Amino acid sequence: MNPGLVPGGRLLEGRVVLVTGGASGLGLGMATAMAAHGAAVVLACRRSETGEPAAAGLREAGHDVRCVRCDVTSADDLRTAVDATVTAHGRLDCMVHNAIAPTGGPTRIQDVAQDHWDAMVATAIRATFEGARAAHPHLREAGGSMILMTSSAGMEGSASLPVYAMVKAAQRTLAKGLAAEWGADGIRVNCIAPVADTPAMERAYDENPVLQERLLERTPLGRIGDPLGDVGPAAVFLASDMARFMTGQTLCVDGGGFLGL
Amino acid sequence: MADGTRTLLVGDGPLVDGLHDGLVDRGHVVAQVVPVRTDGGTGIEAGTGTGISTGIGAGVSLIGRPDLVVHVPPVPASPVPLVDQTTQRWVEACEAPMAEAFAVARACRPHLSDRARLVWVVPTVAMGGAAGFVGSAAASEGIRALAKSAARQWGPEGLTTAVLAVAPELAFPSDAGAGARISATAGPALGRPGDAFGDIAPLLDLLADPAARFMTGATLVADGGVWMAP
Repeated sequence: MNPGLVPGGRLLEGRVVLVTGGASGLGLGMATAMAAHGAAVVLACRRSETGEPAAAGLREAGHDVRCVRCDVTSADDLRTAVDATVTAHGRLDCMVHNAIAPTGGPTRIQDVAQDHWDAMVATAIRATFEGARAAHPHLREAGGSMILMTSSAGMEGSASLPVYAMVKAAQRTLAKGLAAEWGADGIRVNCIAPVADTPAMERAYDENPVLQERLLERTPLGRIGDPLGDVGPAAVFLASDMARFMTGQTLCVDGGGFLGL
Repeated sequence: MADGTRTLLVGDGPLVDGLHDGLVDRGHVVAQVVPVRTDGGTGIEAGTGTGISTGIGAGVSLIGRPDLVVHVPPVPASPVPLVDQTTQRWVEACEAPMAEAFAVARACRPHLSDRARLVWVVPTVAMGGAAGFVGSAAASEGIRALAKSAARQWGPEGLTTAVLAVAPELAFPSDAGAGARISATAGPALGRPGDAFGDIAPLLDLLADPAARFMTGATLVADGGVWMAP
């Protein structure tokens, strides 16, 4: 058996991964898991003052991790992040687009502000488009993959976060379309729909006091996920050869909270 | 089935023309709102973007508070691989239709009659994605999520939503639509993609009928039997 396919092995040895929004939360959890599986990881972070310490912490743990400043609402920044990754490591095997603007608190459709709409679309949709364009030639060369973050809100709608639901739904079908377009190039595109305790989730709990209780009520496994221990392995799997025949798919990593797929 | 139903129809193009004629034929009183789409605008607020708010206000002044609002978002004329698209084209294919759908929802909300329904008509590529139409398909799925979110927000107020997913051949300009069909191996079970007047407008009529009052946020697939999942 190919040693690279053994579960629990270093599934990403020699691979290079770029993670947007990698300074904390889900991004850092996935980056850490991928680095632990042997990947060289670049954290693309809007603020160097948070991204650099995160990268330094992982380097101290023996991982090959660096940080590049990147505001995903800037196409130039995304191209720079991709170029810096390839310059540093010679290749790009996986791009994880995880960054998104703050969701804010519960909002009526009638009350959504233009700047909230613009921020959500810019970080989730436009950044996927610009990031995909920048990464495509390198992913094709490496036979790599792209991972987008979606949400059960995009699949079942959300009474409290209608714009978030829209952009997450759009990202999921965006992944399917890219999977169809890029399959011939040997590039896979998949989604993860997580629920995990992150700084962003903590803010959401603050803005919506009943959110945590509702999430737990609907989660058969009875807890909220962990970015490193629960979501990280899903990212490792999708980036690895273990998932080499999977594309256009969504992995729900939410303790069974959404069972509609 | 619903004689005298007051219907606001937002959009333009052959699909909308067929829906208009089909609804009028079935007794609806229809006001059509044609968005101004000269700038690929992504404004969602009154006074921005495509003039949706003004148009809907004018439509309401013609027919009164609508019982049914139907929005047919714009779609690109031809397929282009994502890596070959300009940012402007991406905005027009993906971000602007999503913004227009959101603008329609919020602009029509104050005018809706009791127990009114809001329906979006999108191609089935929303569910399956489509090479060459990545942005349009993504937008359509975003709009499906909007229909679900609006159903959840407005359900307690008696309002309902739905999505009609139609064959790409109907939604996209003729040649482009065939290329966007979800399954390359399976044509429509009924042997044709359908027509707006005779196949789709009656479903809008059905959705406006009290018989459909307990269905909300759902997608009706009307593509002659191509997309059958789940």
